[in-house]
Amino acid sequence: MFDLLAQTGLNALYAASYISLVAVGLVLIFGVMGVVNFAHGELFMAGAYVVVALYAGGGAPFLLAVAAGLGFVGLLGLLMEFALFRPLRDNPLGGLVASIGFLMILQATAVMGFGVRMEHIPPVTQEVIAFSEKVRLPMSRLYVIVAAVVLLGALWYFLKRTRFGWALRASAQDAEAAALQGISIGQTARIAMFIGAGLAGVAGALTAPLVSVNPHMGHSVIVTAFIVIIVGGVGSLEGAVVASVAYAFVHTLVTTFWDGVIADIVGLSLMLVVLIVKPTGLFGTADRA
Amino acid sequence: MVDFRRFSIGRRRFLKTTSSLIGASALSGLGSAARAADDVVRIGFLAPLTGPVAAWGKPGLDGCQIWAEWVNEEGGIKLPDGNRKVEFVSYDNEYDPAVARTGATKLIREDGVSFIMMLGGDTWPGVQPVADRTGMLFSTLLPSDLSPDTPTLVAPAEVHPVYNVTGVAWLAENKPDLKTAVMCAQDDALGLPSVATYLAAFEAAGIEMLEEPLLFDPATTDFAPVVTRLIAGNPDIVCLDTCYSDYVHPICEQLFQQGYKGQIISCTADFYDQIIAKTSKEFMEGFVFQFPDFDDPALNAEGINFRDPNRFFEVYNERHPGEWGAVSWEYASIMDLWKAAAEKAGSVEPEAVLAAMQDGGKGLHAFGEADWWGEDLFGINNALVGNWPVVVIEDGKAVIKEMRSIPDWYAAHGDLLKKHMEAYGQMWNQRG
Amino acid sequence: MPRTVLLVILWAAVAAVLVALPHALSFSQQEILVFMTINLLVVASYRLLTLTGEWSLGHVVIVGVGAYASALYTKELGIPVPVSMLLGACTSALIAMGLSYPLFRMKGFYFLIGSFAAGEIIRLLWKRFREPFGGPKGIKGIDPMPDFSIGIWDFDFFEPVSYYYFAGAVVALCLWLLWRIERSPVGLTFHAVHWQDKLAQSAGVNVRAYRTLAFVVASGFAGLAGALGAHYIGTINPNGFDVETMVFVLTWTIVGGTATFYGPLMGCIALTVLNEIVLREMGFEQMRPLIYGAVLILSILFLPKGLESLVQKLVKPRRVEP
Repeated sequence: MFDLLAQTGLNALYAASYISLVAVGLVLIFGVMGVVNFAHGELFMAGAYVVVALYAGGGAPFLLAVAAGLGFVGLLGLLMEFALFRPLRDNPLGGLVASIGFLMILQATAVMGFGVRMEHIPPVTQEVIAFSEKVRLPMSRLYVIVAAVVLLGALWYFLKRTRFGWALRASAQDAEAAALQGISIGQTARIAMFIGAGLAGVAGALTAPLVSVNPHMGHSVIVTAFIVIIVGGVGSLEGAVVASVAYAFVHTLVTTFWDGVIADIVGLSLMLVVLIVKPTGLFGTADRA
Repeated sequence: MVDFRRFSIGRRRFLKTTSSLIGASALSGLGSAARAADDVVRIGFLAPLTGPVAAWGKPGLDGCQIWAEWVNEEGGIKLPDGNRKVEFVSYDNEYDPAVARTGATKLIREDGVSFIMMLGGDTWPGVQPVADRTGMLFSTLLPSDLSPDTPTLVAPAEVHPVYNVTGVAWLAENKPDLKTAVMCAQDDALGLPSVATYLAAFEAAGIEMLEEPLLFDPATTDFAPVVTRLIAGNPDIVCLDTCYSDYVHPICEQLFQQGYKGQIISCTADFYDQIIAKTSKEFMEGFVFQFPDFDDPALNAEGINFRDPNRFFEVYNERHPGEWGAVSWEYASIMDLWKAAAEKAGSVEPEAVLAAMQDGGKGLHAFGEADWWGEDLFGINNALVGNWPVVVIEDGKAVIKEMRSIPDWYAAHGDLLKKHMEAYGQMWNQRG
Repeated sequence: MPRTVLLVILWAAVAAVLVALPHALSFSQQEILVFMTINLLVVASYRLLTLTGEWSLGHVVIVGVGAYASALYTKELGIPVPVSMLLGACTSALIAMGLSYPLFRMKGFYFLIGSFAAGEIIRLLWKRFREPFGGPKGIKGIDPMPDFSIGIWDFDFFEPVSYYYFAGAVVALCLWLLWRIERSPVGLTFHAVHWQDKLAQSAGVNVRAYRTLAFVVASGFAGLAGALGAHYIGTINPNGFDVETMVFVLTWTIVGGTATFYGPLMGCIALTVLNEIVLREMGFEQMRPLIYGAVLILSILFLPKGLESLVQKLVKPRRVEP
C-alpha cells in the first residue's frame, strides 16, 4: 500500500509539472490580452510536433529540439498577437472565435504535414531511478519535473524582479492605468503572447516522447488547463501552479483507486464547487467579468 | 411534389426509382450521379477521414486504392455483360451519425454506388434507416453493429472482438504456468465488448482475474496511474484489451518503466517496432496480439484468400511509410470478398451480391474459408468467422504462431462468452 | 395599410420559396437542409440567452438533454413521439432551471467556463451510466416520427423532404415565438439587463431572475431542437454534444452577428453551406478544417460585426424599432 501511494505521488508530480506549464501560459495570455485562447492545446501539440520534426525526424539533440519548440511556438504566439488579437483588441469574443479558427488551422496543418497517425518519438533515456521494486521514477519524467520547476522559477524571477515583468503585471491588472504610466501595451502583449505560447510549446515538446503525439492531442490538455485556471483563479499565476498540483494529485489518486471517468467527473465537480463558493478562484482577487 | 409521397414500393424498385428522381432534382447541378450506368462500378467508402478517429478510416482508403489499381489492371470486375472498372467514392463521415446518414444518402442516391464500406460504431445507427429503406449492402469493421433488423449489413473482415479468444487460448496452451491476469480497457464501444470476450477467454483457460477490469476514458493522456494500479497486485498477465494504438504505446512504455516483467496480451500492436524502440526487445519478447504483418511467410500458405499479401504490404509501406496497421488491409480484404461474390452472382446489384456472398453459409475470409455465423451474439449470421492468427513478437518481429479456429473455441465455451457479454450489456438484444 | 399588404406578400413569397426549396436540392443536400433547419433553432435559442450578456458553453449539452430525454421517454415509457419531444423540451428547461442556481452566481468569463464545466459533467454522466443513457455508445433505434397523411400527401418522416416540412414548421413557429419574446417587455428587459446591468437593478429589476428566465426559455427551445434531431437521426451519443459541436454553434452565432435576430441564422446558413456543400464538392477532404478555420478568422477580422452588418448596410433602417 505504501508503495502504491508513493508511486501515485510520483505520477501526480509529473502530471502537475506539465499541466502547470500549460496553465500558467493560458493565465498569462488571459491576464494580459483578455482573451480565452482556445488554441492553447494546439500550441501544446505544435511544440510536440517540433520535437517530432527535429529530434525524431532530423536527429537533433533532444534539448535543442525542446528549445526550438519553445521558440517556434513562442513565434506562433507572436503571430497570433499580430494577426488576430491585436486587430481584435476591443472584441474579446472575436478573439475567442479567431483562436478557434487558428486551432483548426494548426490541427489541419499537422494532419497534412504528418498524417493522422500517432508519431513515433524514440525515448530520450530509459534510465529509471528505482526507490524500491514498485516505486520508480523514470529519468524522462524527472526531466519534465525539473524543467517545469526551472522554467516556472525563471518566469517568477522575470515577473517579480525585472522591469518588463513589472510592466507585464501592471498591464495584466489594469491596462489603462498601465498605459498612463507609459507602459507600452503592444510590447507587453507581445511578451505575454511569446511567453504564454512558448510555455505551452515547451510543455508539448518536453512530454512528446512520453505521450501519444497526434494532431488531436491538444483537446484533453485544454480541458484540464481550463479546470486548473478556474480553480486557481483566472488572473493568478501562483493560483495556476497550486491548482495544477492539487488537480494532478486528486485526479491521479482517483484514477488509481477508482477509475478514470470518475476522476474526470471529480475534477469538474471540484471546479464547479470552487466557482460557486469563490467564483474568483482560490487565488483570484479582482472580478474580471 | 412527387418526392414526398410514401415509398411503399419494394426495395429493388426503390433503387431504380431514385435514379429517375435525381433527374427531377438535378437542378442543383451537383447530381454527379447523372453519369448513369457505364463501365464503372462505384464503391462507397463512408468512414472518418478527418478528426480524431481518422486513423481508422484514412489508412483503409489508401489500401483500397492499391486494391483498385491491381484489380483494374486485370480488367476489373468480370461480369457477364462485360468488365467493370472499380472506382472508390469516399465521404468523410467525421464519425458523426448525422453526417454518416447524409453521406450514405449521397453515395446511394447520387453517386450510384453498389456497395458501401464503413468503419461502423457510432456512425452505423445513423445509417441504419437508410440501409433499411434502400436495401444497400453495407460492411462494417465492428460486428457489434449487427442485429436482425439489418440483414444487409455484413461484418466480413474482422469479427472483433471474438477472435481475441484465440490469443488467450494459445497462451494458456503454450505458457500454462501463467495463472493470474489483470486488464485495462478504454470505456467505449470498442473496449467494452472486448472486455467481455477476454473475461470469457480467461475463464475458459482457467486464468484468474485478480480484479475487475480497469476502465479509462478515451481522453486519457497520462497512463502512469492506470499502470501503477494494474501491476500493484503482481499479475502474471497484463491484458490491454482492444485499445487505440495511441494508448497501447504509452501503456507499454509505462509497464516497462514501472518495472513490469510479465506477459502482455493485447488485441492490436500497430507499429510494434516503435513500442520496442520505446522499451526493449527483451521486454516485448513474447507479446501476444492478433494482427500479423503481411510480409509474414505464413500468409502465403494454402487457403489464405488475401491477394498477394507480401506485395500488398510492400507497396503499402512504399506509398505510406509508417502507416501500416490493422485497417490498412481490412477494407481491401472486404473488397476481395465482394469481388468474388459479384463475379459469382454475375451482377453488382446489392441483393444478388449478398446472396452470392453467403451462398452455402461459407465465405472466403482473408484468413481462410469461414462460416457465416453470429446468431447467438448478434441475432443474425452476418459475421464471417473462421480461423484467426495468433501473433507473437519474437526477436523484434511479429510472427504468426498459429491459425486458430474461433468456431472450435465457441463450440466449447460459447456459454461463457454469452454470460460475460450479457454482463456488459453487449448482446444484440441488450444494445438499446 | 399597403405596408401590411406588402409584408403579407413578402412573407408569402418567403414561405413559398421555403416550401419549394428542397425540390431544388440533391438528396444529400436535402439531408443537410434538415440538420441546418434544426440548427437554426439552436442558434436562435442561443441568441436569446446571449441577449442578457451571458455566453454559455453548455448550450449544446442542453440540446443533448432534450434529445436524451425525448429519446428515453419514447423508449422507456412508450410516450408518443410528438409529446415526448415537448416533454424533452420541458426537461431541458427544468435542468437549466436547476443549473441556473450555481451558474448565475457567476458572470462573464466565469459563467462561460462554469457553463462549460456543468455541461461536461452532464456529458460524463451520460458516458458513465450505461443505464439508462447507454454509455459512450449512446442510444440507438430511437423511434421516428410516425408517418401520417393529410389528404393526398403522405408524410414519411424517413424522407428528408417530409421531415424538413415538419421540422421547418416547428422551427418557424419557435422562431416566431422567440421573436415575440424578444420584442415583448420581458425581452426588452433582457436587453436592459445586458447593457445597463446596474441601472436595471436600481430600477427594481431583479437582474438574476431575468437572466435565469432567459436561460430557462432558451434551454427549452434548445431541448426541442435536440429532440427534433434525435428522432430524425435515430441515434445519439455523448460525443455528438461535445465542446467541438459547441464551438460550431458559437462560431455560427458570432460570425453571423448577435445584434439582430437574423444574424445568427445567417451565420448558421452561410457556414453550413460553406462547410458541408462548397468545401465537400470542391473535393477538399483533409484541408476542410483548415479552410473553415481560415474563413472564420477572415470573417471575424473583416466583418467584426458579423454578416448581419452587411444586411444592415444594404437596408438602412426605415423606422425606429419599437
